[in-house]
Amino acid sequence: MITGSQKPINEIIKLVEPYKKVLILGCGTCVKTCFAGGEDEVAVLASALRLSFKQMAKSIDIEELTIERQCENEFIQEASPGIARNEAILSLACGAGVQAMAKRFAKEVVLPGVNTTFIGIQESPGIFTEECSGCGNCSLAIFGGVCPVTRCAKKLLNGPCGGSQNGVCEIDPDTPCAWHLIIERLTTLGQLDNLKTYIPPKNWNTSLSGGPRKLIREDHII
Amino acid sequence: MEIHNTPKLTLFHCINSFEETPSMFDNCQVKTVKMACASMTKDIHLLRAFEAGSDAVLVLVCPDKGCRYAQGSIRAKKRVDYVKTILDDIGMDGRRLSIFNTTAKDSRAITDIIQKTLVALETIGPNPALNHLN
Repeated sequence: MITGSQKPINEIIKLVEPYKKVLILGCGTCVKTCFAGGEDEVAVLASALRLSFKQMAKSIDIEELTIERQCENEFIQEASPGIARNEAILSLACGAGVQAMAKRFAKEVVLPGVNTTFIGIQESPGIFTEECSGCGNCSLAIFGGVCPVTRCAKKLLNGPCGGSQNGVCEIDPDTPCAWHLIIERLTTLGQLDNLKTYIPPKNWNTSLSGGPRKLIREDHII
Repeated sequence: MEIHNTPKLTLFHCINSFEETPSMFDNCQVKTVKMACASMTKDIHLLRAFEAGSDAVLVLVCPDKGCRYAQGSIRAKKRVDYVKTILDDIGMDGRRLSIFNTTAKDSRAITDIIQKTLVALETIGPNPALNHLN
């Protein structure tokens, strides 16, 4: 999933301050799971904003809505009536959701309420870790399902550096060494021979470094 | 700025952490909210209590190791701490929100907590949003 964290409340206050009617629009998929933009977060933010503006004796109408996904037109439609009633949309979706809303409602103000962070997983309740960089050329089969492109600080593709100690990366004692994990996993799978496969320098053209990417599925285009 | 003479408190409590006794709520208006377990403490409920005009919100939970559902008191504390940061960030003063470990039988301690909260409110002041609440 895409993870994110809600922007600091004071930054959000500055964003919505110029408007008298604001729709706080949550997204019920990724950012809900990481507690940044689901129904609960929309309600808490709305309440905090109301309290904040009431202290300043400023009048603001806040409407709350959470749709299933802000990155898909089918779900966005549901927000249309609410958007029509308000001067601005404070989107608690990831950057893709915010931009999808802005694209769909070209004349409406769409403000971001979340800082999008990474593609990751929930490691344990409340702890999210980055697992994928979306490099566009997945080699997880060779690495036993552990991605060195994302999880090795040096993005090494042909074995560990000399900085790995006791399974921990030298850059941060809280970060496991990706190569330690890869070797452990390949040992478990009986695939240590994978380490003999030479991985040539990575072609980053398929990653964001090659510019914004587009995915085309001809069979779904009418 | 004195907005109302009698401080308003909202008291969220686990059913095992609180039992009302006569004169416990002297000198204040208290709305009590009963919860089956402190783990039902939610951020939004605490904030809405302030929106409803509370000057202070108290959460009474079982002793950490005495929670029937094991982690209810710990979870409640984490949520209270989170809401306190929100209150501080928006200038409402996080000290308006407090959590205490109590047992239902310990009415003297609970009365003491309420009275200390009223004393603290003299310094903290009334709910700053209250003057503008609808």
